[in-house]
Amino acid sequence: MLPAAIFVGVFIYYPMLAGSQMAFRHWNLSNLTDTSWIGLQNFATIFADPSFGVILGNSVLWVVASIVPQLVIGFALALWLRRRFRFRGLYQALIFFPWAISGFLIGILFRWMFNGEFGVVNDLLMKTGLIDQGIPWLAQPDTAMFAVIIANIWYGVTFFAIMILAALQSVPDELFEAAALDGAGKVRTLFQITIPYISTTLALTVLLRVIWIFNFPDIIWAMTGGGPANQTHIITTWMITFTQKGDYGVASALGLIVVGLLLVFSAFYLMALRGKKEASS
Amino acid sequence: MANSKVLSGLGIGLAATLALSGCSGAADDGTVTLQMVESLTNPARTELLETLIDEFEQENAGIEVELISPPTDQADQKIQQMLQSGTGVDVLEVRDLTVGPFSTNGWLADMGPEFEGWKGWDALTDNAKNVATAGGKTYFIPYGFYGISLFYRTDLVEEAGFDGAPASWEDLLEQASAIQDPEANTYGYAFRGGTNGYSNAALVIEAYVADDLDLENAYRLKNGDSMFSAPEALDAMDLYLDLFEQASPPSSVAWGYPEMVEGFSNGSTAFLLQDPEVIAAVEQSTAITGEQWTTAPILVGPSGTAIQPLATAGWGVAEASEHQAESAKLIQFLSEGDASIRFTEGNSLVPILNGGDEAEFYKTGAWESYLTMNENPETYITAVQPRGVAWWTEWADKADSELQQVLIGQLTTKELLASWDAYWTEKWAAE
Amino acid sequence: MIDTETTPARITRIGFLGLWLVITIFPLYWIIVTSFKAPGDIFSYPLQYWPTEFSFENYVQLFEKADFGTYVVNSLVVSTAAATTATLISLLSAYVLARFEFRTKTAILMAFLVTQMIPAFIALGPLYLLMVDLGLVDDRFGLILVYVAVCIPFCTIMLRGFFANVPDALEEAAMIDGCSRLGALFRVIVPVMKPGIVAAFIFNFVNCWNELFLSVTLMNKDENKTIPTALNGFITSFNIDWGSMSAAAVLTILPTMILFAFASRYIVQGLTAGAVKG
Repeated sequence: MLPAAIFVGVFIYYPMLAGSQMAFRHWNLSNLTDTSWIGLQNFATIFADPSFGVILGNSVLWVVASIVPQLVIGFALALWLRRRFRFRGLYQALIFFPWAISGFLIGILFRWMFNGEFGVVNDLLMKTGLIDQGIPWLAQPDTAMFAVIIANIWYGVTFFAIMILAALQSVPDELFEAAALDGAGKVRTLFQITIPYISTTLALTVLLRVIWIFNFPDIIWAMTGGGPANQTHIITTWMITFTQKGDYGVASALGLIVVGLLLVFSAFYLMALRGKKEASS
Repeated sequence: MANSKVLSGLGIGLAATLALSGCSGAADDGTVTLQMVESLTNPARTELLETLIDEFEQENAGIEVELISPPTDQADQKIQQMLQSGTGVDVLEVRDLTVGPFSTNGWLADMGPEFEGWKGWDALTDNAKNVATAGGKTYFIPYGFYGISLFYRTDLVEEAGFDGAPASWEDLLEQASAIQDPEANTYGYAFRGGTNGYSNAALVIEAYVADDLDLENAYRLKNGDSMFSAPEALDAMDLYLDLFEQASPPSSVAWGYPEMVEGFSNGSTAFLLQDPEVIAAVEQSTAITGEQWTTAPILVGPSGTAIQPLATAGWGVAEASEHQAESAKLIQFLSEGDASIRFTEGNSLVPILNGGDEAEFYKTGAWESYLTMNENPETYITAVQPRGVAWWTEWADKADSELQQVLIGQLTTKELLASWDAYWTEKWAAE
Repeated sequence: MIDTETTPARITRIGFLGLWLVITIFPLYWIIVTSFKAPGDIFSYPLQYWPTEFSFENYVQLFEKADFGTYVVNSLVVSTAAATTATLISLLSAYVLARFEFRTKTAILMAFLVTQMIPAFIALGPLYLLMVDLGLVDDRFGLILVYVAVCIPFCTIMLRGFFANVPDALEEAAMIDGCSRLGALFRVIVPVMKPGIVAAFIFNFVNCWNELFLSVTLMNKDENKTIPTALNGFITSFNIDWGSMSAAAVLTILPTMILFAFASRYIVQGLTAGAVKG
């Protein structure tokens, strides 16, 4: 336990705490000769920004619209992959591959695939006759948001699939057999036996993914840079624009807001989870 | 037991790793090692730079140079961290965008004293000297200039019934609209709506207000107001919006540098405003041959003049460096004679040396338009863009975002200009 | 396993798995095809779904122009060492957190969870200064240390979750049989948890393998660069070198794919029912 605490303390908490003081200072790279304490002024700047509401909404949409399909598809894959079939190993290696690429690379790759004029997505859609004119995916706020979420779903399913598959391995077959003997249907077995049995892993995976996705600017940054007109920014991509402007004060303040929001969410989530557990036992 | 085998395997792996990753010690024989960090990294340029550095090392025994080449997207941030920590960097690439903040923070050494009596100084062009001595201090020596010209498809222009390249922005709108044919996947103009899209918007506005512009600060009019307040600026932006709506690919709202270059070199757009760097990229295209395209001077406004927005970057020395004299030596080596010429030609830059553009290289093919612009300084006026101001990156971010709002119909051109005018007026007032 | 499967269920299963395979594979296919196109063919229009002629040019360039082999070695060394160390440390911490009750337990868990919420860049500047002070900048050992720290919290939380699925009775039985606690952990619990441990290792490895910002910040010399830094180097201010980048991406993905293929055997290995029943 001690080594873990030391590692995390020295290389994560120390730099993080040292870094977060920037949030309460005037800390702009354009002039670091004046880094006076300015209290909550950086936070005030953020809340006063007209884009803040949209960006907050986008962040929530980004998380929810990404995680639900990821969970459902990942769960389905895991369940179906339990069954042996020929080339299962190869199949798994192939479908797990998105996780092997960095988010940034995925972003660039999808940016080109969703390109309005020479992107392969439009080309395929036109070849199959689904559309007859190319859609400028990344040039319109709605379609751009759709495109980045698609990319994220594609990327994140693997994580759920692996985690759930690993957890499912610990479910004793006897449980299923017993359920089958009781005449329970597939769906009932799933909800009454499988899910409760792996609930700890499942709940934690979902929580971690919420935190990660909320904190995952790579794909959006590479695909749209938050555009058009700030319409696809989430908090963390917006934060990058502040670092690029050299305004580390505001950027750090945004970072703390991210931590704050996620803390509140996690607290509620864990409480709800505990409440549910107590109710069911 | 299988697990203990796994564990011991891991242990060996770990030990081996630790052994492999030991530190490299510094030489103790009086050799000075300079750390040089580049920012606008690209592989071909890095290779050329390494060749030049090798030659420098041969001429200067006792000085070694270690070139650090971070990916360009992350480079400036890394350089900032190094400068802030005061370690790991002696010579660095300073851009017109970064010289302001870096010098304000006391990170850059004034090389004025080191450069006194440097024989290469007189060979520099006036533009280069101006940049190198801005504000009375020498924070960097430019290695070249990035100018803009119009890349265009001679065949498409001809097919559409025009005699030659468009000279003015209105010509461009006319020709691009005529060529635009979405059904055939052919578009007029490779519009820049994404990152740094504001720079082309500024280009069109500057062309429209060229005669009233303060040449020392291209965003300001001679009367002290911002150029965005001029009535001509509205004409310019209206035309620019028409150009997008009638003659550009719809997805170009999101186009940045790579998409624009790509859109031109894959043959789907007829016009492109870009740096000369792009010449090499387009020459490699197999979609269009050398006979199908060339370049023309930038586009003029109604009064027949245009502003050439020269951007620049160069080499500077870190204030915290313990080897400033050696660093200055390296910069001098790179800024004179053969080394400078090879660097500017190899990177398709406008040269910093007098007479540099008379070399054969700059007289051929796509480079001709640069010569034309150089020979007609009254038509193609060089004006200093205020890229060194502390708020430039903030401005770029704001301007890009608002320009996109105009393109997707959330903002009118009038509102856009009012916002930009207010922004600059306020910044200047607070200065 | 559930052995009865109706025909419609079978069709759904195969249809779904097939569809997802196509969706997943297509971008991979696209990268591979691009990597074998001659430099001039990459941007041809209409799109080429198959190269007109296969060219190894992009791959040759990687090793001739860039020192790609060195980057691969660096990434392998750093990721393997960091992932291994982190998995081991996390395994022990997770065990302690799952099996013992102590006062600071919740606090530690929360502290670990919070690390996942911090946008990395806040810590980047101070971390760089810290590493300068420690003399670990531009040093693979330094990068390994940082990666271990980055991996531990998630890995611990994840493994603790898997521990929770393993009944206490199992190790109690082992301890009655004369095993020490540590012995019981490694002889009895670890085998049962193998899928989870392998999964944890893989996630650690992949996270390190793909990490960009810390690597760019902490490494300078070309000989110390890792693959993601090199990959990003193909994006220059005026272009993206798609050919080299695709080739590099293919080479980057390969080791991870092999790892996945190898590890997925363990993940889906399935446990003998007896082991869990205890």
